[in-house]
Amino acid sequence: MAGNTSNQKSTRRGFFDFLLGASSVAWLGSLLYPVIRYLKPLDRAGAIGPTRLTKEELAKLEKERFVIVPVSGRRVLVLQNAAQEVLAVDAKCTHEGCTVQFLPAESAIWCACHNARFDLDGRVLSGPPPRPLPKYAAERQEDGGILIVAERRQSE
Amino acid sequence: MSDLDRGRGWRRWLDSRYQITPLIEFLRHKEVPKGPHSMFWYYLGGTTMFFFVVQILTGVLLLMYYQPGEATAYESIRYLTTKVPFGWLMRSIHCWSAHLMIISLVAHMFSTMMLKAYRPPRELTWVTGYILFALTLGFGFSGYLLPWNKLAFFATSVGTDLVKSVPLVGNWMLQVLRGGPDVTANTLYRFFGLHVVILPLAFVALIGVHLLFVQRQGMAPPLGAKVAPRGMKFFPSFALRDLLLWLFCFMVLLVLAVFLPYGPGIPGMDWELGEKADPLAPAFPGIKPEWYFLWEYQLLKEFPPHLFGLEGPQLCLLVVTVLLGIWAIIPWLDRQARRDQPSPGFSDFGWGAILFLTFLTLKAWDIGASGPATSPASLKAISWICAWWTIAAGVVIVGVRFWVHHHRWFFFTGAALLHVVLHGLLGLSYLVAGAIAAILAVGVVTACIFRDRRRQANAGGSR
Repeated sequence: MAGNTSNQKSTRRGFFDFLLGASSVAWLGSLLYPVIRYLKPLDRAGAIGPTRLTKEELAKLEKERFVIVPVSGRRVLVLQNAAQEVLAVDAKCTHEGCTVQFLPAESAIWCACHNARFDLDGRVLSGPPPRPLPKYAAERQEDGGILIVAERRQSE
Repeated sequence: MSDLDRGRGWRRWLDSRYQITPLIEFLRHKEVPKGPHSMFWYYLGGTTMFFFVVQILTGVLLLMYYQPGEATAYESIRYLTTKVPFGWLMRSIHCWSAHLMIISLVAHMFSTMMLKAYRPPRELTWVTGYILFALTLGFGFSGYLLPWNKLAFFATSVGTDLVKSVPLVGNWMLQVLRGGPDVTANTLYRFFGLHVVILPLAFVALIGVHLLFVQRQGMAPPLGAKVAPRGMKFFPSFALRDLLLWLFCFMVLLVLAVFLPYGPGIPGMDWELGEKADPLAPAFPGIKPEWYFLWEYQLLKEFPPHLFGLEGPQLCLLVVTVLLGIWAIIPWLDRQARRDQPSPGFSDFGWGAILFLTFLTLKAWDIGASGPATSPASLKAISWICAWWTIAAGVVIVGVRFWVHHHRWFFFTGAALLHVVLHGLLGLSYLVAGAIAAILAVGVVTACIFRDRRRQANAGGSR
């Protein structure tokens, strides 16, 4: 009989301990959730869609054979190859996110951070990058301007 | 007259209110173990803390002019170093002291490791020290971005990008760290908060715990000595020596800060302000992180794009995490030191780690490069020269340990040197050479452990 009551007592205590623990966890969760949401910034607002190169950017492209421009919230490398064609690839190296550059003499795209080389379509030639640079549409318009279209990919 | 009323003036006044006599008695009897071993290693924690105090003081001074922000961060540092009286000196001291603090901390950590001071009951002192080391690297990394110059911008881009390789939460962590998908002024604000508020608070709290442990347990006596044969009084003998060493450190710091205000000019130890950060400029050739991150930078270069179904950076992060994880739990792995017996395998593990880091760091410095260090031929030349330097260092280390300290256990240093020979001299790829050396080392060490176990079992059976 006595054993029975103590058993009951202990299950009751256990139940309340469980209740206390569970509500403490829920309470902590409700405190942490706003903080976690607060820490992650909102998606950047800004111009999205096809972008025309400015006069300064065109001049830089003429002079240095490449220019890096912001298009739809990403950095895009616009370059002029030996055949005077305009090409556009993502300027962010797929290895560790450095900004790549065009080497006209070698007709290659190069990342200075970990010595990676890509061809002008963004395919990896040598070095550690795991993926090619995304390629974007670049078209020369009738008035001599250049239009870049960098679609926002779903997975990012 | 009661016991507590003794003494003069302020001492009696304080004592009657706060009972400070037991505390003074405790300090009076505090001793540092003294034996045939070198006492030098006991001072390195103190020098590290000295440089940290310098960091706090100069950091507060720099805060009076620094303005975080896209349009102000770089400009305020330029104003500070060119216009503000002695602004260049304050920044120079802050930078030099940061590097000296890390040097002192690395020496402190490796001496603790070699002397097995982490053995029971001091495991948690090792763990708190390990976290303090991580926080110190966090200080270095976050402070690097604050001048908002080109070098800082790319170093932070690369350094934070590695976070994306963490499974599941990588992308979230990257965005939280950067305040967006890329390094922008938002990153600057977050790193500023980290550098001047979050890290200092965490660091001071943890130093408190670390010192409390050291106070409660005293400094570790040399291995095998149950009771230290003699003790040196902490007050005044040890404290005065501490003070003298700090004075010396301060002098060295000032001389360096005054005569080399922008660092010694070694890549990775150089804080020339340079050009302002430009997110639309390409990374420039020869870009390197600070010297204590060079090994990691080089290791990232050595991994191929894909291996075992993982991307190179992911696998690199995994390898580094495993190595650092082993380093954190050494007090529990080293079972011989737990029994207060010499553990030559762990000393050798420490030396092997030093050689591993040395080779990577030398390679990252492009030592031996003729011309731009990007062509395959020049990369080969770098590996060749750096291999010889590392082998030379290894021979000196092994020689001193063999003849001076009578060590006879060299499997890990041997594996590290084999790695260097296979990669640098015979031309195998870094990872293949590393895998061969690691498998050999693990195989031999496992065989040794089994042999010792069997021997012990036999000895137990015959008894």
